[in-house]
Amino acid sequence: MMFRPRIICFICNWSLPAGVDVASPTTIHAYPKIHVVQVMCVGRVDPAVVLGTFAKGADGVLVIGCHPPDCHYIYGNLQAERKVKMLKKLLSLTGLEQERLRLDWAYAYEIERFPKIIDDFRNLVIALGPSPLAEEKADSNILLNIKAAKAAAEDFRLRVLVGRERELTEKENMFGEKISQKEFDVLLHEVVEAEFIRHKIHLLTKEKPMSVKEIAAIVNMKPALVLRHIVNMRRKGMIALDHVDRTTLLYKALEVQ
Amino acid sequence: MATDSCAIKSKRRFPPCRGACPAGVNVQGYIALLQQGRFNEAVELIRKSMPFPAICGRVCFSPCQDACSRKNVDQPVGIRYLKKLAADIEREQGRIKPDPIPKTRKEKVAIVGAGPAGLSVAYELAKLGYPVTVFESMPRPGGMMQYGIPEFRLQKYVVANEIAYIQDLGVEIKTGVKFGKDIQLDTLQSSGYKAVFIANGASLNRKLNVPGEDLEGVLPAVAFLRHVSLKERVDVGEKVAVIGGGNSAVDAARTSLRLGAKEVTILYRRSRKEMPALPHEIEAAEREGIKFYFLVSPKQIIGEGGRIKAIECLRMKLGEPDESGRRRPMPIPGTEHTYEADTVIPAIGQIPETSGLPSVLLDERARAILVDPSTLETRIPGVFAGGDIVTGPASIVEAIGAGKRAATSIDRYLNGKDLRSEREEEIEETTWVKDWEMIAKKPERYTTPSIDIGRQRVSFEEADELLVKIKERAMSEAQRCLECGPCSECLEGEGLCEGDKAVVDETLCTGCNVCAVVCPSGAMKKNEVGIAQVDEELCKGCGICSASCPERAVTMRRITNDQIMTRVLSVLGGGIG
Repeated sequence: MMFRPRIICFICNWSLPAGVDVASPTTIHAYPKIHVVQVMCVGRVDPAVVLGTFAKGADGVLVIGCHPPDCHYIYGNLQAERKVKMLKKLLSLTGLEQERLRLDWAYAYEIERFPKIIDDFRNLVIALGPSPLAEEKADSNILLNIKAAKAAAEDFRLRVLVGRERELTEKENMFGEKISQKEFDVLLHEVVEAEFIRHKIHLLTKEKPMSVKEIAAIVNMKPALVLRHIVNMRRKGMIALDHVDRTTLLYKALEVQ
Repeated sequence: MATDSCAIKSKRRFPPCRGACPAGVNVQGYIALLQQGRFNEAVELIRKSMPFPAICGRVCFSPCQDACSRKNVDQPVGIRYLKKLAADIEREQGRIKPDPIPKTRKEKVAIVGAGPAGLSVAYELAKLGYPVTVFESMPRPGGMMQYGIPEFRLQKYVVANEIAYIQDLGVEIKTGVKFGKDIQLDTLQSSGYKAVFIANGASLNRKLNVPGEDLEGVLPAVAFLRHVSLKERVDVGEKVAVIGGGNSAVDAARTSLRLGAKEVTILYRRSRKEMPALPHEIEAAEREGIKFYFLVSPKQIIGEGGRIKAIECLRMKLGEPDESGRRRPMPIPGTEHTYEADTVIPAIGQIPETSGLPSVLLDERARAILVDPSTLETRIPGVFAGGDIVTGPASIVEAIGAGKRAATSIDRYLNGKDLRSEREEEIEETTWVKDWEMIAKKPERYTTPSIDIGRQRVSFEEADELLVKIKERAMSEAQRCLECGPCSECLEGEGLCEGDKAVVDETLCTGCNVCAVVCPSGAMKKNEVGIAQVDEELCKGCGICSASCPERAVTMRRITNDQIMTRVLSVLGGGIG
């Protein structure tokens, strides 16, 4: 049987073609495998929701907003762009192809372009094949990674960085400093990696107490680096020493408030 | 999508465009509808405020555009063109004839003068169910819209279409009935009209008061434009001099050119900067080759054999600003010179025609009807007046505004209610824009299509294609609107958005300020203890704050993240296979 991808399309209230005849064959409604979720603005799409969508086995997520510089909410579409940039960095760590997430722009009157955007993306997803998280045969390692990414996307640091990106890179802070886009991207990359690994450690140690060595083997990192993350996480109250087995320290996750 | 649960119902704060419009048209609302390509609904929304979208789209002086917030970024949104376009598209697609409004009221209302003010009153009262009769002295209704503005600025079929809409609603218009001759105020009252609205306009030309004004070849602008509108033969000769700097002057000059004049000059006593005519009309006149002669005033008109030969002029200089704020022109003695012309068109203003009116209605100099400015009631109970007859020559949109105010007064009067109470709603113009630098520039301006849709000689297919292109450009221009007014301004029950509002969980908020940074409408602010607060009047429910809040303290009242996830799951779960 031919693979029919399940694609979620988050679309902005203002770029969905209005007055489009639902029954018309040229409209997106004629594509039964695109599931449209209308939101007020694409900037409204929470990164955690996107990752949650992947965790539930979606084969692709397409986000369509208004062409910059137009946005009903001035820069909501640019907010979405930053969120997607961060999400792609996160996805590249999880083992799920980051191409499964795409952001595209469209005007409400570009009725002819809509099916094209969707076709392009759909063909790409078909080429990638079914999501490793599609029901029943979910890859447990990738699922864990996606859950860790989702937790990272729900946590404070990434959200602050993404929310303040424009302010940080385009305006000066109260000390008259300005961060260049390049510096910011390096910073974001570091934070994405750190947050992802910390939340993965958190999820792993939730199941049972684990040692640094065990964790290092699973996350495929040097034990010293893992220990540095654990020290950081202890400071933030994410993890605590559970017990000592002979000379090995075993850590267990704490419920994050 | 429902809008009924929107938190904000009463609207006191207006965006600048709506605040500036004398007729109070919901500009942000119809622009938002145009963004979504809902042209007919946009026209309907305009009609909620006034009955002349196509006319105002052509000839309004568009104070909305002057007030538009976008001017702080690049150029204002082309509001007038968008309005014209929406109305044109509706007309070309074939306006759907509205059903007559059932006459639920017994009290008859008479309106004198079928200009913009009179027709607005008729329109508003007809919507309330009153039987309304409009009396017009000219053969066709429309007033200055019909007989003052030349065809090349405002096509007669446009006027006819918009007046037909009012007639479709059940308003009766009787033309060729002259007030003061065929009907009188007391006969109207005795024949059962419970209220009368007088709006017979300012159709008399102001005199130059110089010798030679009665010579053949002197054509006052109002009469001149009226003759041309009535398709009467008017010979202007080769050299035309128009005296004045207002819209009538420019209209008369451009009309003369179209009647075959070789050389048309506008003589104005101040300089170009002080000209009261619309800037784009002056530019159009210049493009057409009309000459301007500034800082000059006629001293006398010289005749030869009963017909004019030349004007004796005097140069002027500008003195101190007068009460209108413009610099007062002062004659320079000894600068007399003559300017040859075949025709002179004085266009220095119009005055109300008060001759047929009872003197009790008039002000002490008998130059206009005296009314209470907020209620528009005259000294005679049950008689109201508005438009140019009260204000002197003004604009269409101001006349519409007066018509709306008078309609409210008449409705209150006929219901025995107080005319004055809660009348002047305090309107605060507001824009939320917090940082102009954050808005990307997009100076592309939509200018009026050079061809009139559907009227060019093309096949139907090409006309359709053209229409699609024009619609696209209009939607693109509408996108330039910053939606800078308060929330719920644009929806008006049009189902444009979900009417959502942000809610802050104060126990979770740490005061990191990210919500205030990402909020596009400045609705998020920290209170004195550093907890985020939502200004519900400004919140537009986009939910970007909720999608960005680091502590996930901000949620939405109606569509939370969990609900979006539920939607995702429901579409993922359903219809698989």
